[in-house]
Amino acid sequence: MPARSSVASPNPTAGVTQPPADYCCDPAANAEFPPPDFGRTVRLVGTVANVDPRETPHPKNSRGELGAPLFNYFKNTVASDPIARVIFPTHTRDWRNVFRMVLQRAPKGTSNPDQRAVAEPAQMSAHIKRAGRYFGADVVGIGKAHPSMLYAGGLRDEGTSAAAEQDGPTPEELCRRYPHVIVAAVAWDYALGRAHRHHIGDAVYDSALMQTVMILAALEGCIRELGYTAVRGRVNPQAAALAAGVGELGRNGLIISRDYGARIQLNDVILTDLPLQPDHPIDIGVEDFCRICRKCAETCPTNSISFEGKQVYNGVEKYKIKWETCYKLRAFTTDHWAACLTCATVCPFTKPNVWWRALAVRTLSLTPIPFRPPLVRGLKWMDDRFYGRVPNKRVRWLSYDTGVKPGVKGCTVAGCTAQHGDEHGNGKVEAPRGDVGYYMPLKENVNRFVKRA
Amino acid sequence: MPVKLRGMLKRAGAARTDPFWTDFIHTPPIDPRNLVTEAFKGASEDAVNPVRAEIHSPNVMAQHIKELGRFWGADQVGIVRLTATRESELPFGILAVVKAEYDPRQATGIGGQTPAMKGLFATFCVAAYIRELGYQARRSGDNGDRLAAIAGLGALDREGHLVSRAFGRKAYVAEVIRTELPLEPDGLDDGQ
Repeated sequence: MPARSSVASPNPTAGVTQPPADYCCDPAANAEFPPPDFGRTVRLVGTVANVDPRETPHPKNSRGELGAPLFNYFKNTVASDPIARVIFPTHTRDWRNVFRMVLQRAPKGTSNPDQRAVAEPAQMSAHIKRAGRYFGADVVGIGKAHPSMLYAGGLRDEGTSAAAEQDGPTPEELCRRYPHVIVAAVAWDYALGRAHRHHIGDAVYDSALMQTVMILAALEGCIRELGYTAVRGRVNPQAAALAAGVGELGRNGLIISRDYGARIQLNDVILTDLPLQPDHPIDIGVEDFCRICRKCAETCPTNSISFEGKQVYNGVEKYKIKWETCYKLRAFTTDHWAACLTCATVCPFTKPNVWWRALAVRTLSLTPIPFRPPLVRGLKWMDDRFYGRVPNKRVRWLSYDTGVKPGVKGCTVAGCTAQHGDEHGNGKVEAPRGDVGYYMPLKENVNRFVKRA
Repeated sequence: MPVKLRGMLKRAGAARTDPFWTDFIHTPPIDPRNLVTEAFKGASEDAVNPVRAEIHSPNVMAQHIKELGRFWGADQVGIVRLTATRESELPFGILAVVKAEYDPRQATGIGGQTPAMKGLFATFCVAAYIRELGYQARRSGDNGDRLAAIAGLGALDREGHLVSRAFGRKAYVAEVIRTELPLEPDGLDDGQ
């Protein structure tokens, strides 16, 4: 086995090699950092190499490695929709109008030199969770940091960047220094979010992301005022969310939480030296549900989600999606929407958190594992029956209407007397009737040239 | 149990069981940059889209602005027209009211400033949206409580603070956004 190294890449511009690591599943092999518990959906079965952040989709695309259409979509496209220009940092006309960008560029605060003593880590954990919820987070979890969760490379500065550096501390050193992770997330609204593949879905999704960024910044400020350090951009959010008991990993590659399903926004994770008591992974039955359900795989417009079982990738057994096909679709739909969200919207766990949903999740999690499959089949049948195999309910919000075919111009807003002109000189477009939204028949077109995962 | 009573008991419980809560709410930060609101103090408001978008009639735009304000976290949104302003000033004021467990004017801790942070998020995003439509939108130093009362969101108490229809005294009016976007106002401020 090669020696462990902190060097992410011999050539920072190449960014193609990953540092060797030996976070294996054998507890005897690494006494200081025994294998982490990620719950039932994800298991460490082999040697895990830390992922180089430069090898994740967005940095690859920024370097133009995914082709010209995607590069232009990411770097040179200004959104036609005014709300999208306010919420998407990559498609904005001017970064000064994006909350996230202004916040990220502001100077960071310093830690209080008078460190507050923490007698009971459990009390501090409860305080951080209470503070996160008070700031507006829907889910807050605390986990124990493990080197296998961290990205490769060092630390450029205290908490602002995911960029790797050659001479920074190794993941093990970071985990010794900052032994806990804090995960906070805002859930997006289901009523609007079901307008997936639409500007409405984009607005809901990325507004939740902006709120999450704001809450994480506020939590960082809290930790610094207590006299401790908060580091951002170093931890894989999904691994941290599993360890922190925020949710379980579904077939669609998303974290599925107890109360909100897949509609939570995991932006980043805080790595900290604050004395905390970590939570444990949860079991809400995602493992049993995803084995049978496959709704996301059936409806994925790009066939990126597997119908098969779990795969072992980088020493981790989990459901793996084909991110390349998922990502490549975006360049061709940018006029109408940016975030697909189909897999998140169809997931039975994502449905509104009303009492019957809570009852179903509770029943599933309390049922002994061997008896769960028949219950899952029943719950899936009910979900198909009441919410449909693909949500296509018509959603109207502001001047958006999913009942109108994408690309049709003109005003369908009730009460508007303005004379909006379209290319034919018509001021008004007659609003279609019915309660069914128009969703592009993407799947049928994509099936011709993308094989199932 | 009534929701209001449950909230009161929860707050009392938080203060008793959480030894860090009082500092979180009331102790001002050692470094003000640890506050989210501090990051936006000098934020530019000049990024107005040079191409104006086609907009709806003023009553529909007013509905949309209120809906967007609520979508981005405000609990109540009102619009006033300031008739006594100079020609160079922007004629419409947008008020965003946020429910505030603790008044940010007295509770200066990071937790106490939460309503100000939430209000800032809503007003920043609404103002940025208006600028993207091609109309000016700026923060102003107007008295938000007075304008919110004119917009019909509540009444003023003896100290000049807003007593909201929905939240009583637990209401915080975020910084007023002045804009030139044609909107149908809820009230007129003639400077009296």
